[in-house]
Amino acid sequence: MSVIEISHITKDYGKGRGVFDVSFNVKQGEVLGFLGPNGAGKTTTIRQLMGFIKPDSGKLSIQGMDCFKEADQIQKSLGYLPGEIAFIDSMNGMEFIKFVAKMKKMKDLGRAQELMQMFELNASGKLKKMSKGMKQKIGIVCAFMDSGSEILILDEPTSGLDPLMQNRFVELVLSEKKKGKTILMSSHMFEEVERTCDRAAIIREGRLVAVEEMEKLKESRQKIIVVSFKDASMAEAFAAEFPKAGYQAGSKMVTAKVGRNLDSFIKKAGEYTIADLDVRTQSLEEFFMHFYGEGADK
Amino acid sequence: MNATLLKKEIKSNWILLVIFLGVLSMYSVMITMMFDPKLGDSLKMMADSMPQMFAAFGMADVGTSLLEFVTGYLYGILLVAFPGVYIIILANRLVAKYVDNGSMAYLLAVPEKRRKIVLTQGIFMLLTLLVMVVYCTVLILTVGELLFPGEMDIKGFLRVNVGLMGLLVFFGGACFCASCFCNESKNSSAISTGVVVYSVLVQMISQVGEKFENVKYATPLTLFNVDGLSAGDAEAWATCAVLYVGGLVLMGIGIIRFSKKDLPL
Repeated sequence: MSVIEISHITKDYGKGRGVFDVSFNVKQGEVLGFLGPNGAGKTTTIRQLMGFIKPDSGKLSIQGMDCFKEADQIQKSLGYLPGEIAFIDSMNGMEFIKFVAKMKKMKDLGRAQELMQMFELNASGKLKKMSKGMKQKIGIVCAFMDSGSEILILDEPTSGLDPLMQNRFVELVLSEKKKGKTILMSSHMFEEVERTCDRAAIIREGRLVAVEEMEKLKESRQKIIVVSFKDASMAEAFAAEFPKAGYQAGSKMVTAKVGRNLDSFIKKAGEYTIADLDVRTQSLEEFFMHFYGEGADK
Repeated sequence: MNATLLKKEIKSNWILLVIFLGVLSMYSVMITMMFDPKLGDSLKMMADSMPQMFAAFGMADVGTSLLEFVTGYLYGILLVAFPGVYIIILANRLVAKYVDNGSMAYLLAVPEKRRKIVLTQGIFMLLTLLVMVVYCTVLILTVGELLFPGEMDIKGFLRVNVGLMGLLVFFGGACFCASCFCNESKNSSAISTGVVVYSVLVQMISQVGEKFENVKYATPLTLFNVDGLSAGDAEAWATCAVLYVGGLVLMGIGIIRFSKKDLPL
């Protein structure tokens, strides 16, 4: 059963900005990654789910309720992390967390305390003086602290967090997923989505390009392998066997995008003497280019 | 109404209210103390020396009773302009500022209707205006009774203050409405300031000379008929009611607009 349903929504801000005919669903207990470059329309979609803006056409519902008209009902079981966090500056962190808890009609702050420990957050300082990372942590605490929230909508949840805290966040999402929560999480980074999500919806220039199982996306994601050989003649001979590989005459290095043919690539390389090997995964942009072909870039 | 939000607003805005009450206290006490039923009127002499200036501030033809004296010098401009500034600042803070800086997202991501959240803000504004008017009324009456026992026409004075409340409700409604319509703080402040300054200026112009007398129909301040209310005229009550109704209708329009509009959060 779908908890979040988005069907054919269009919100046109002119000049190609906005979202156009976007449809996808998030199922009960699923973690869906909402991927796209900056300005692709992720936040515009999320604002409509939150009932902050109305679509020009199309429908959005959460648990069968209209996202604009019945926003107050939906909010009873929803946790939200805004993309651009703005707090009430005059409060300190703890006051703000308590204020949000009261506004959400929560009874106890036990979960908030747990989360603050998990993220090593000392919330006693003034919000105005906090760093981006601190603010993000407070946002995360506010989004997750109500254990009655069955649904979580998170807009770029890890922005501003250091790698250690990003890992903690991934653990948190996985544990919430085990509890059966339904999560929609936007990101422009493949890695965090890869580690947590069951499916990913990919949006580009306001249009949904695909909704895919994570497994399938991972499979089609290529690695870029840079092999340094002992001398240039070896590199040249090796490059000749892989015509698509990048090679500059006289260089010892061969750069190649490798997907399914990883095994044959490594075995071939093994026939030569290798000085160094470097592997990196594609960025989201590179991945788009590959996944949708060159034509995707119009 | 949302009690948590109301408490939050009291905590955030009490200092602003106290500052304005302080300024109003100073003027109220000073002017009341200057009333002197027996000796000649020093203010009156000053008024005679620059009649047009005093007329612009609504201080021409100030009578000789304590009621006429206090309402003439305070209710023409001081108790209108200062609360006006307070309203401009507060109205902007209560809605547009939250939208402008984005923190409205946290006020709306709660199990409450938008209407209820913004209504709470409106009620908070009306409550503080009531505090302001009641405070000034009690203060002036107390000072008056202490210094000049039995001089004040208390019923007449209370009627004038009911009228003042009406005027503030009107300004409050108009500025609150602007705050609900605007997504940017600066626009909301600009419109609110425009409304208040325009109203006060037009009234000042209308009082300077007969040539401009008719422009008084172009400002809501004319609906606040101090002399009429002092005397308890039916017409003054009617125009006073127009202020209350107008203010509440404007506030209602703002609330409805806010409940339906797209918010850039």
